[in-house]
Amino acid sequence: MNTISDDDLVLYHYRDGLGPDRLADIERALGASAGLRERYARIERALAGADAWPAPVPDAEFDTRLWRRLEPRLRAPSAVQRETRASWLGAVRAWLSPPRMAFAAATCVLALAVSIGFLAGRRSAPDLAGSRQADVAAARVLDAYVAAHLRATESVLLTASNSDSAKLLDGNREFAASLVEANRLYAIAAARAGNAQLADFLRQIEPVLIALANPVTSGAIQPAEGLRDYLDSTDLLFQVRATQARLERAGMHRT
Amino acid sequence: MRMANDEARWIARASEGDTAAFRHLVEAHSRALFRICVRITGDAALAEDAVQEAFFNAYRHLRDFDGRAAFATWLHRIAVNAALEQMRKRQRVESALPEGDENHDLLAHAFEHPPGPDRHAASAEVRRGIESQLARMSAIERAAFVLRHHEGQSLEDISAALSLSVSASKQAIFRAVRKLRAALEPMDTLES
Repeated sequence: MNTISDDDLVLYHYRDGLGPDRLADIERALGASAGLRERYARIERALAGADAWPAPVPDAEFDTRLWRRLEPRLRAPSAVQRETRASWLGAVRAWLSPPRMAFAAATCVLALAVSIGFLAGRRSAPDLAGSRQADVAAARVLDAYVAAHLRATESVLLTASNSDSAKLLDGNREFAASLVEANRLYAIAAARAGNAQLADFLRQIEPVLIALANPVTSGAIQPAEGLRDYLDSTDLLFQVRATQARLERAGMHRT
Repeated sequence: MRMANDEARWIARASEGDTAAFRHLVEAHSRALFRICVRITGDAALAEDAVQEAFFNAYRHLRDFDGRAAFATWLHRIAVNAALEQMRKRQRVESALPEGDENHDLLAHAFEHPPGPDRHAASAEVRRGIESQLARMSAIERAAFVLRHHEGQSLEDISAALSLSVSASKQAIFRAVRKLRAALEPMDTLES
Protein backbone atom coordinates (compact mmCIF):
# COMPACT_ATOMS: atom_id res chain seq x y z
CA MET A 1 0.00 0.00 0.00
CA ASN A 2 1.34 3.40 -0.96
CA THR A 3 1.19 5.70 2.08
CA ILE A 4 3.27 8.47 0.63
CA SER A 5 1.13 11.55 0.10
CA ASP A 6 1.75 14.43 -2.28
CA ASP A 7 2.44 16.60 0.78
CA ASP A 8 5.21 14.16 1.77
CA LEU A 9 6.64 14.50 -1.72
CA VAL A 10 6.64 18.29 -1.41
CA LEU A 11 8.63 18.03 1.81
CA TYR A 12 10.89 15.45 0.16
CA HIS A 13 11.53 17.89 -2.68
CA TYR A 14 12.70 20.52 -0.20
CA ARG A 15 14.45 17.97 2.03
CA ASP A 16 12.80 19.71 4.98
CA GLY A 17 10.29 18.72 7.63
CA LEU A 18 10.90 14.95 7.33
CA GLY A 19 13.13 12.82 9.47
CA PRO A 20 16.01 10.83 7.92
CA ASP A 21 14.06 7.57 8.16
CA ARG A 22 11.09 8.99 6.28
CA LEU A 23 13.38 10.48 3.63
CA ALA A 24 15.00 7.09 3.16
CA ASP A 25 11.56 5.41 2.90
CA ILE A 26 10.49 7.81 0.16
CA GLU A 27 13.80 7.39 -1.64
CA ARG A 28 13.32 3.63 -1.71
CA ALA A 29 9.68 3.89 -2.74
CA LEU A 30 10.57 6.21 -5.62
CA GLY A 31 13.09 3.64 -6.84
CA ALA A 32 10.49 0.90 -6.71
CA SER A 33 7.31 2.56 -8.03
CA ALA A 34 6.88 4.12 -11.47
CA GLY A 35 3.51 5.55 -10.41
CA LEU A 36 5.10 7.36 -7.46
CA ARG A 37 7.89 8.63 -9.71
CA GLU A 38 5.27 10.06 -12.06
CA ARG A 39 3.47 11.78 -9.17
CA TYR A 40 6.75 13.22 -7.94
CA ALA A 41 7.67 14.40 -11.45
CA ARG A 42 4.35 16.29 -11.69
CA ILE A 43 5.06 18.05 -8.39
CA GLU A 44 8.58 18.92 -9.50
CA ARG A 45 7.27 20.32 -12.80
CA ALA A 46 4.78 22.54 -10.91
CA LEU A 47 7.47 23.80 -8.55
CA ALA A 48 9.83 24.43 -11.46
CA GLY A 49 6.98 26.42 -13.01
CA ALA A 50 7.13 28.80 -10.07
CA ASP A 51 10.73 29.54 -11.05
CA ALA A 52 9.44 31.01 -14.31
CA TRP A 53 8.51 33.95 -12.15
CA PRO A 54 11.72 36.03 -12.43
CA ALA A 55 13.42 37.55 -9.39
CA PRO A 56 12.00 41.07 -9.19
CA VAL A 57 14.58 43.84 -9.34
CA PRO A 58 13.87 47.36 -8.09
CA ASP A 59 14.54 50.32 -10.37
CA ALA A 60 17.81 52.25 -10.27
CA GLU A 61 16.40 55.02 -8.08
CA PHE A 62 15.07 52.63 -5.46
CA ASP A 63 17.80 53.10 -2.84
CA THR A 64 17.82 56.88 -3.18
CA ARG A 65 14.05 57.06 -2.96
CA LEU A 66 13.94 54.67 -0.01
CA TRP A 67 16.50 56.65 1.99
CA ARG A 68 14.89 59.98 1.14
CA ARG A 69 11.60 58.73 2.62
CA LEU A 70 13.15 56.87 5.50
CA GLU A 71 15.58 59.45 6.83
CA PRO A 72 13.06 62.02 8.13
CA ARG A 73 11.18 59.22 9.88
CA LEU A 74 14.36 58.12 11.62
CA ARG A 75 14.93 61.65 12.84
CA ALA A 76 11.38 61.99 14.15
CA PRO A 77 11.02 61.76 17.95
CA SER A 78 8.77 58.75 17.51
CA ALA A 79 11.67 56.79 16.03
CA VAL A 80 13.84 57.33 19.06
CA GLN A 81 13.24 54.79 21.79
CA ARG A 82 16.56 55.17 23.44
CA GLU A 83 17.82 56.71 26.62
CA THR A 84 19.40 60.03 25.86
CA ARG A 85 22.65 60.99 27.52
CA ALA A 86 22.41 64.04 29.68
CA SER A 87 25.30 65.81 28.10
CA TRP A 88 25.52 69.29 26.67
CA LEU A 89 25.60 67.71 23.21
CA GLY A 90 22.40 65.82 24.01
CA ALA A 91 20.81 69.01 25.24
CA VAL A 92 21.77 70.86 22.06
CA ARG A 93 20.49 67.98 19.95
CA ALA A 94 17.26 67.91 21.92
CA TRP A 95 16.82 71.63 21.46
CA LEU A 96 17.42 71.23 17.74
CA SER A 97 14.68 68.59 17.61
CA PRO A 98 12.62 68.30 14.41
CA PRO A 99 9.62 70.23 15.84
CA ARG A 100 11.74 73.27 16.64
CA MET A 101 13.72 72.93 13.45
CA ALA A 102 10.54 72.62 11.39
CA PHE A 103 9.10 75.76 12.89
CA ALA A 104 12.41 77.68 12.71
CA ALA A 105 12.93 76.69 9.08
CA ALA A 106 9.39 77.68 8.14
CA THR A 107 9.82 81.03 9.92
CA CYS A 108 13.09 81.69 8.07
CA VAL A 109 11.53 80.83 4.72
CA LEU A 110 8.58 83.09 5.41
CA ALA A 111 10.92 85.89 6.51
CA LEU A 112 12.91 85.40 3.32
CA ALA A 113 9.76 85.55 1.20
CA VAL A 114 8.58 88.72 2.98
CA SER A 115 12.00 90.41 2.68
CA ILE A 116 12.28 89.61 -0.99
CA GLY A 117 8.79 90.94 -1.64
CA PHE A 118 9.67 94.10 0.27
CA LEU A 119 12.96 94.59 -1.54
CA ALA A 120 11.40 93.83 -4.92
CA GLY A 121 8.82 96.57 -4.29
CA ARG A 122 11.58 99.11 -3.64
CA ARG A 123 13.64 98.26 -6.68
CA SER A 124 13.83 100.55 -9.67
CA ALA A 125 13.72 99.34 -13.29
CA PRO A 126 17.50 98.88 -13.78
CA ASP A 127 17.50 96.58 -10.76
CA LEU A 128 14.98 94.17 -12.29
CA ALA A 129 17.60 91.63 -13.45
CA GLY A 130 19.03 91.42 -9.96
CA SER A 131 15.52 91.21 -8.55
CA ARG A 132 14.75 88.29 -10.85
CA GLN A 133 17.85 86.45 -9.64
CA ALA A 134 16.78 87.03 -6.06
CA ASP A 135 13.27 85.71 -6.87
CA VAL A 136 14.74 82.55 -8.38
CA ALA A 137 16.98 82.03 -5.37
CA ALA A 138 14.05 82.56 -2.99
CA ALA A 139 11.87 80.15 -4.98
CA ARG A 140 14.63 77.54 -4.85
CA VAL A 141 14.91 77.93 -1.08
CA LEU A 142 11.14 77.67 -0.73
CA ASP A 143 11.05 74.56 -2.95
CA ALA A 144 13.78 72.86 -0.93
CA TYR A 145 12.24 73.64 2.45
CA VAL A 146 8.70 72.72 1.45
CA ALA A 147 9.98 69.46 -0.09
CA ALA A 148 11.68 68.64 3.24
CA HIS A 149 8.50 69.60 5.07
CA LEU A 150 6.46 67.27 2.84
CA ARG A 151 8.91 64.43 3.50
CA ALA A 152 8.34 64.96 7.21
CA THR A 153 4.58 65.11 6.61
CA GLU A 154 4.73 61.87 4.65
CA SER A 155 6.58 60.22 7.52
CA VAL A 156 3.94 61.39 10.00
CA LEU A 157 1.15 60.06 7.79
CA LEU A 158 2.89 56.73 7.27
CA THR A 159 3.65 56.28 10.96
CA ALA A 160 0.10 57.20 11.92
CA SER A 161 -1.40 54.84 9.38
CA ASN A 162 1.00 51.92 9.88
CA SER A 163 1.53 51.81 13.61
CA ASP A 164 -0.78 50.45 16.27
CA SER A 165 1.65 51.26 19.07
CA ALA A 166 0.15 53.84 21.42
CA LYS A 167 3.62 55.00 22.45
CA LEU A 168 4.72 55.48 18.87
CA LEU A 169 1.49 57.26 17.95
CA ASP A 170 1.96 59.58 20.89
CA GLY A 171 5.41 60.63 19.65
CA ASN A 172 4.01 60.97 16.18
CA ARG A 173 1.23 63.21 17.50
CA GLU A 174 3.83 65.64 18.87
CA PHE A 175 5.66 65.61 15.56
CA ALA A 176 2.40 66.31 13.70
CA ALA A 177 1.69 69.21 16.09
CA SER A 178 5.09 70.70 15.28
CA LEU A 179 4.34 70.48 11.57
CA VAL A 180 1.00 72.31 11.79
CA GLU A 181 2.57 75.72 12.39
CA ALA A 182 5.32 75.09 9.88
CA ASN A 183 2.74 74.01 7.31
CA ARG A 184 0.78 77.22 7.85
CA LEU A 185 3.90 79.36 7.44
CA TYR A 186 4.94 77.51 4.30
CA ALA A 187 1.45 78.06 2.85
CA ILE A 188 1.80 81.80 3.51
CA ALA A 189 5.30 81.82 2.02
CA ALA A 190 4.08 79.95 -1.07
CA ALA A 191 1.19 82.39 -1.51
CA ARG A 192 3.54 85.36 -1.17
CA ALA A 193 5.87 83.78 -3.73
CA GLY A 194 2.93 83.58 -6.13
CA ASN A 195 2.62 79.80 -6.00
CA ALA A 196 -1.12 79.59 -5.32
CA GLN A 197 -1.32 75.91 -6.24
CA LEU A 198 1.28 74.94 -3.65
CA ALA A 199 -0.33 77.21 -1.06
CA ASP A 200 -3.71 75.54 -1.68
CA PHE A 201 -2.21 72.09 -1.39
CA LEU A 202 -0.53 72.95 1.91
CA ARG A 203 -3.81 74.35 3.23
CA GLN A 204 -5.45 71.07 2.23
CA ILE A 205 -2.94 69.13 4.36
CA GLU A 206 -3.43 71.31 7.42
CA PRO A 207 -6.67 69.75 8.74
CA VAL A 208 -5.12 66.29 8.48
CA LEU A 209 -2.09 67.39 10.49
CA ILE A 210 -4.37 69.06 13.04
CA ALA A 211 -6.42 65.86 13.33
CA LEU A 212 -3.24 63.84 13.85
CA ALA A 213 -1.97 66.31 16.42
CA ASN A 214 -5.25 66.21 18.34
CA PRO A 215 -6.65 62.68 18.25
CA VAL A 216 -10.17 62.21 19.58
CA THR A 217 -8.95 59.71 22.17
CA SER A 218 -5.32 59.40 23.19
CA GLY A 219 -3.30 56.33 22.25
CA ALA A 220 -6.18 55.19 20.16
CA ILE A 221 -6.11 52.46 17.57
CA GLN A 222 -9.44 53.51 16.08
CA PRO A 223 -8.29 56.95 14.92
CA ALA A 224 -5.27 55.23 13.32
CA GLU A 225 -7.64 52.95 11.45
CA GLY A 226 -9.78 55.92 10.49
CA LEU A 227 -6.71 57.60 9.06
CA ARG A 228 -5.75 54.43 7.21
CA ASP A 229 -9.18 54.31 5.66
CA TYR A 230 -8.96 57.99 4.81
CA LEU A 231 -5.52 57.64 3.23
CA ASP A 232 -6.61 54.51 1.44
CA SER A 233 -9.72 56.17 0.08
CA THR A 234 -8.03 59.42 -0.93
CA ASP A 235 -4.78 59.89 -2.76
CA LEU A 236 -3.36 62.30 -0.19
CA LEU A 237 -0.19 60.30 0.43
CA PHE A 238 0.40 60.06 -3.30
CA GLN A 239 -0.19 63.81 -3.69
CA VAL A 240 2.28 64.54 -0.89
CA ARG A 241 4.91 62.39 -2.56
CA ALA A 242 4.19 63.77 -6.03
CA THR A 243 4.33 67.39 -4.86
CA GLN A 244 7.53 66.71 -2.97
CA ALA A 245 9.11 65.12 -6.06
CA ARG A 246 7.92 68.00 -8.25
CA LEU A 247 9.42 70.57 -5.90
CA GLU A 248 12.72 68.72 -5.83
CA ARG A 249 12.79 68.60 -9.61
CA ALA A 250 11.79 72.25 -9.88
CA GLY A 251 14.53 73.22 -7.41
CA MET A 252 17.14 71.48 -9.53
CA HIS A 253 15.98 73.12 -12.76
CA ARG A 254 15.60 76.70 -11.56
CA THR A 255 18.29 78.99 -12.95
CA MET B 1 34.76 38.51 7.43
CA ARG B 2 35.45 42.21 6.80
CA MET B 3 31.83 42.65 5.73
CA ALA B 4 30.60 40.98 8.92
CA ASN B 5 32.82 43.21 11.03
CA ASP B 6 31.63 46.30 9.19
CA GLU B 7 28.04 45.23 9.69
CA ALA B 8 28.52 44.64 13.41
CA ARG B 9 30.04 48.13 13.71
CA TRP B 10 27.20 49.73 11.75
CA ILE B 11 24.63 47.95 13.90
CA ALA B 12 26.32 49.14 17.10
CA ARG B 13 26.53 52.73 15.86
CA ALA B 14 23.00 52.74 14.42
CA SER B 15 21.57 51.44 17.68
CA GLU B 16 23.05 54.57 19.29
CA GLY B 17 21.09 56.70 16.83
CA ASP B 18 23.71 57.12 14.10
CA THR B 19 21.55 57.36 10.97
CA ALA B 20 24.60 57.42 8.67
CA ALA B 21 25.60 53.99 10.00
CA PHE B 22 22.03 52.81 9.56
CA ARG B 23 22.15 53.96 5.95
CA HIS B 24 24.97 51.45 5.33
CA LEU B 25 22.71 48.71 6.65
CA VAL B 26 19.84 49.91 4.46
CA GLU B 27 22.01 49.90 1.36
CA ALA B 28 23.40 46.46 2.15
CA HIS B 29 20.00 44.81 2.58
CA SER B 30 17.39 46.89 0.75
CA ARG B 31 17.37 44.94 -2.51
CA ALA B 32 17.10 41.55 -0.84
CA LEU B 33 14.20 42.84 1.26
CA PHE B 34 12.52 44.30 -1.82
CA ARG B 35 12.80 40.94 -3.58
CA ILE B 36 11.03 39.13 -0.74
CA CYS B 37 8.43 41.84 -0.28
CA VAL B 38 7.53 42.09 -3.96
CA ARG B 39 7.21 38.31 -4.17
CA ILE B 40 4.89 38.29 -1.19
CA THR B 41 2.82 41.33 -2.15
CA GLY B 42 3.04 40.91 -5.93
CA ASP B 43 3.15 44.68 -6.23
CA ALA B 44 6.29 46.83 -6.48
CA ALA B 45 4.72 49.90 -4.84
CA LEU B 46 3.38 47.90 -1.90
CA ALA B 47 6.74 46.17 -1.60
CA GLU B 48 8.54 49.50 -1.50
CA ASP B 49 6.26 50.69 1.31
CA ALA B 50 6.84 47.41 3.12
CA VAL B 51 10.62 47.76 2.83
CA GLN B 52 10.41 51.28 4.19
CA GLU B 53 8.28 50.11 7.13
CA ALA B 54 10.63 47.19 7.74
CA PHE B 55 13.69 49.41 7.99
CA PHE B 56 11.84 51.92 10.16
CA ASN B 57 10.77 49.16 12.56
CA ALA B 58 14.24 47.64 12.48
CA TYR B 59 15.77 51.00 13.39
CA ARG B 60 13.39 51.44 16.30
CA HIS B 61 14.13 47.98 17.64
CA LEU B 62 17.83 47.70 16.83
CA ARG B 63 18.63 47.38 20.50
CA ASP B 64 16.45 44.30 20.65
CA PHE B 65 18.65 42.59 18.06
CA ASP B 66 20.64 40.18 20.19
CA GLY B 67 22.82 38.67 17.47
CA ARG B 68 21.51 35.13 17.98
CA ALA B 69 20.22 35.07 14.42
CA ALA B 70 22.08 36.65 11.53
CA PHE B 71 21.16 40.31 11.04
CA ALA B 72 19.83 39.49 7.55
CA THR B 73 17.54 36.80 8.99
CA TRP B 74 16.26 39.22 11.63
CA LEU B 75 15.62 41.87 8.99
CA HIS B 76 13.90 39.38 6.68
CA ARG B 77 11.47 38.44 9.45
CA ILE B 78 10.58 42.08 9.96
CA ALA B 79 10.20 42.58 6.22
CA VAL B 80 7.94 39.55 5.78
CA ASN B 81 5.61 40.91 8.45
CA ALA B 82 5.70 44.39 6.94
CA ALA B 83 4.76 42.88 3.57
CA LEU B 84 1.89 40.94 5.15
CA GLU B 85 0.69 44.10 6.87
CA GLN B 86 0.72 45.96 3.54
CA MET B 87 -1.35 43.17 2.01
CA ARG B 88 -3.81 43.26 4.90
CA LYS B 89 -4.17 47.00 4.42
CA ARG B 90 -4.81 46.55 0.72
CA GLN B 91 -7.32 43.79 1.37
CA ARG B 92 -9.16 46.00 3.84
CA VAL B 93 -9.66 48.43 0.98
CA GLU B 94 -10.25 46.12 -1.91
CA SER B 95 -11.89 43.24 -0.02
CA ALA B 96 -11.35 41.41 -3.24
CA LEU B 97 -9.89 38.05 -2.38
CA PRO B 98 -10.99 35.93 0.56
CA GLU B 99 -8.16 34.47 2.61
CA GLY B 100 -7.05 30.89 2.93
CA ASP B 101 -10.45 29.28 2.95
CA GLU B 102 -10.70 26.39 0.55
CA ASN B 103 -14.46 26.90 0.32
CA HIS B 104 -13.88 30.28 -1.22
CA ASP B 105 -11.09 29.21 -3.52
CA LEU B 106 -11.36 31.37 -6.58
CA LEU B 107 -9.31 28.91 -8.57
CA ALA B 108 -12.45 26.90 -9.11
CA HIS B 109 -14.07 29.95 -10.63
CA ALA B 110 -11.00 30.63 -12.73
CA PHE B 111 -11.20 27.20 -14.31
CA GLU B 112 -14.84 27.48 -15.23
CA HIS B 113 -13.51 29.47 -18.16
CA PRO B 114 -10.07 27.99 -18.92
CA PRO B 115 -8.00 30.01 -21.36
CA GLY B 116 -7.62 28.64 -24.88
CA PRO B 117 -4.51 26.80 -26.12
CA ASP B 118 -3.24 29.88 -27.93
CA ARG B 119 -2.80 31.64 -24.61
CA HIS B 120 -0.42 28.96 -23.42
CA ALA B 121 1.91 29.31 -26.32
CA ALA B 122 3.79 32.34 -25.05
CA SER B 123 5.97 31.88 -22.00
CA ALA B 124 5.07 35.41 -20.91
CA GLU B 125 1.48 34.25 -20.68
CA VAL B 126 2.51 31.27 -18.58
CA ARG B 127 4.41 33.59 -16.28
CA ARG B 128 1.43 35.88 -16.01
CA GLY B 129 -0.69 32.83 -15.23
CA ILE B 130 1.66 31.88 -12.41
CA GLU B 131 1.61 35.40 -11.06
CA SER B 132 -2.16 35.47 -11.15
CA GLN B 133 -2.34 32.12 -9.29
CA LEU B 134 0.19 33.36 -6.75
CA ALA B 135 -2.08 36.35 -6.28
CA ARG B 136 -4.92 33.95 -5.45
CA MET B 137 -2.98 32.42 -2.59
CA SER B 138 -3.72 33.82 0.82
CA ALA B 139 -1.08 36.17 2.23
CA ILE B 140 0.22 33.50 4.60
CA GLU B 141 0.31 30.79 1.92
CA ARG B 142 2.14 33.08 -0.42
CA ALA B 143 4.63 34.22 2.23
CA ALA B 144 5.32 30.66 3.38
CA PHE B 145 5.77 29.46 -0.20
CA VAL B 146 8.03 32.36 -1.18
CA LEU B 147 10.21 31.86 1.89
CA ARG B 148 10.50 28.11 1.32
CA HIS B 149 10.74 27.97 -2.45
CA HIS B 150 12.41 31.21 -3.49
CA GLU B 151 14.36 32.15 -0.38
CA GLY B 152 15.31 28.61 0.61
CA GLN B 153 14.38 29.15 4.26
CA SER B 154 13.80 26.18 6.53
CA LEU B 155 10.39 25.41 7.98
CA GLU B 156 11.75 26.41 11.40
CA ASP B 157 12.75 29.85 10.11
CA ILE B 158 9.46 30.26 8.25
CA SER B 159 7.54 29.42 11.40
CA ALA B 160 9.52 32.01 13.36
CA ALA B 161 9.05 34.64 10.66
CA LEU B 162 5.31 34.09 10.37
CA SER B 163 4.65 33.36 14.05
CA LEU B 164 3.13 30.01 13.13
CA SER B 165 3.77 26.49 14.33
CA VAL B 166 5.91 24.32 12.06
CA SER B 167 2.81 22.28 11.29
CA ALA B 168 0.80 25.37 10.27
CA SER B 169 3.71 26.54 8.09
CA LYS B 170 3.76 23.14 6.36
CA GLN B 171 0.01 23.30 5.76
CA ALA B 172 0.34 26.81 4.28
CA ILE B 173 3.02 25.55 1.90
CA PHE B 174 0.95 22.50 0.95
CA ARG B 175 -2.07 24.67 0.13
CA ALA B 176 0.13 27.01 -1.91
CA VAL B 177 1.61 24.10 -3.87
CA ARG B 178 -1.86 22.68 -4.51
CA LYS B 179 -3.01 26.00 -5.94
CA LEU B 180 0.11 26.26 -8.03
CA ARG B 181 -0.40 22.77 -9.38
CA ALA B 182 -4.06 23.47 -10.08
CA ALA B 183 -2.90 26.43 -12.14
CA LEU B 184 0.00 24.80 -13.94
CA GLU B 185 -1.06 21.23 -14.57
CA PRO B 186 -3.87 22.11 -17.01
CA MET B 187 -1.27 24.08 -19.00
CA ASP B 188 1.06 21.08 -18.80
CA THR B 189 -1.64 18.82 -20.19
CA LEU B 190 -2.43 21.17 -23.05
CA GLU B 191 1.22 21.59 -23.99
CA SER B 192 2.00 17.85 -23.99
